[in-house]
Amino acid sequence: MKVIRGAVDEMWSVMEQMVGSIFRHGLPLTDKIAARTALTNFVLHIHPVRVRRSWIRMSYTLCLGGLSFFLFIVLTVTGLYLMFYYVPSINHAYQDMRDLQFVVTFGGLIRNMHRWAAHAMVITVWLHMARVFLTGSYKKPREFNWGVGTLLLLITLLLSFTGYLLPWDQLSIWAVTVGTNMAKYAPIAGPYTRYLMLGGHAVGDATLLRFYVMHVVGLPLIGFLLMVVHFWRVRKDGFSGGL
Amino acid sequence: MAADFKRFMEDSREMSRRSFLAIAGWVGFTVASAIALFQSVKFIQPNATYEDPPAFKPVGDLAIPTNYAVGSTTVIIDKRVVINRDTDGFYAISLICTHLGCTPRYFPDVTSDLVNAGTQISKDPDTGQLATRANPILPGFKCPCHGSRYFRDADNFFGPAPRPMDRVHIELAKDGKLFIDRSIVVDHHYRLKV
Repeated sequence: MKVIRGAVDEMWSVMEQMVGSIFRHGLPLTDKIAARTALTNFVLHIHPVRVRRSWIRMSYTLCLGGLSFFLFIVLTVTGLYLMFYYVPSINHAYQDMRDLQFVVTFGGLIRNMHRWAAHAMVITVWLHMARVFLTGSYKKPREFNWGVGTLLLLITLLLSFTGYLLPWDQLSIWAVTVGTNMAKYAPIAGPYTRYLMLGGHAVGDATLLRFYVMHVVGLPLIGFLLMVVHFWRVRKDGFSGGL
Repeated sequence: MAADFKRFMEDSREMSRRSFLAIAGWVGFTVASAIALFQSVKFIQPNATYEDPPAFKPVGDLAIPTNYAVGSTTVIIDKRVVINRDTDGFYAISLICTHLGCTPRYFPDVTSDLVNAGTQISKDPDTGQLATRANPILPGFKCPCHGSRYFRDADNFFGPAPRPMDRVHIELAKDGKLFIDRSIVVDHHYRLKV
């Protein structure tokens, strides 16, 4: 009996230690505990310990930056699902896209979520930029973060452009033909830039692979790193705050 | 590093061994990074592409010049080339819109809707034809992307296209077949006489 009791006590203390190592501060019943929890938790530390209601007033921020980030997460998750079926080769791409749309269980839903979230993200990022401009929130001390934001806008547009080729239908092919020909009009480096973008002289297999790699790895990675800096700067510079 | 460099600029005799190594290290790092960046660009530049070669002979009946009627326009769509035969000979057109690179499509009538809407259409210098209300129909090409229009001889007359489509090299091979090289752009007056 004594042995069993000892074993149960031992198990209990191990459990307690495990739970205690995850939830370090107990329930946030007081402001002090809540602040300490937010400060020491990796997920919560993105959020400031204290936020004034006026700083994040909906009528001021319209939550556009948050919406953009939310859509980025939606796009990352749905994009991961799509990658299970999509092969970036001119012999497979269009058929795979059709399969996703019409054969795969919930494939149409996932593809449409990806498509509409992508359109929406371009809109919210532009509006976010417009809001920051119109409220003068780009001014000192936030000039640096405005610069990071313009790069994030560029990444968003490039993600949109590279994703446009992937269904490999007529619209994709000719849109990228037009887009890369516009790049060709740039002085001096134009034709060479187009050659690098296409991996050849016309939109083809090499182009599809290039755009795919940039779409699913290259650009999201750069975008993620810039977002880390962007959010960190928001924390350091503080909210510009509603009036 | 910056302090080392500043002191060195003020008096070169002041440089310590530590400063020298620091500067040498940073210079080496910068040069190596620049070379790596340059080579990275070279890496994504394909040295060989497995695209359709620019030079080709049309397949089947289209290879034989006598199969082309005088005044005919023949589109070889998978090569994006047009072969025209006029009284003074053959010429080939690269079927790539000079605006932003889409493929214009052949239509027997590219002018009547414009003429009927009252748009002035300039005279085609080669054929000497003029689309008028009395005779509004001329054949040619329309680009599906932004609506540029070309006469049958590749001269642009409507839409955003800035110049005529390129004429490309066409010759008669030793075996009597037509031979076209899309990589060689030729003069507007070039003709292959058969």
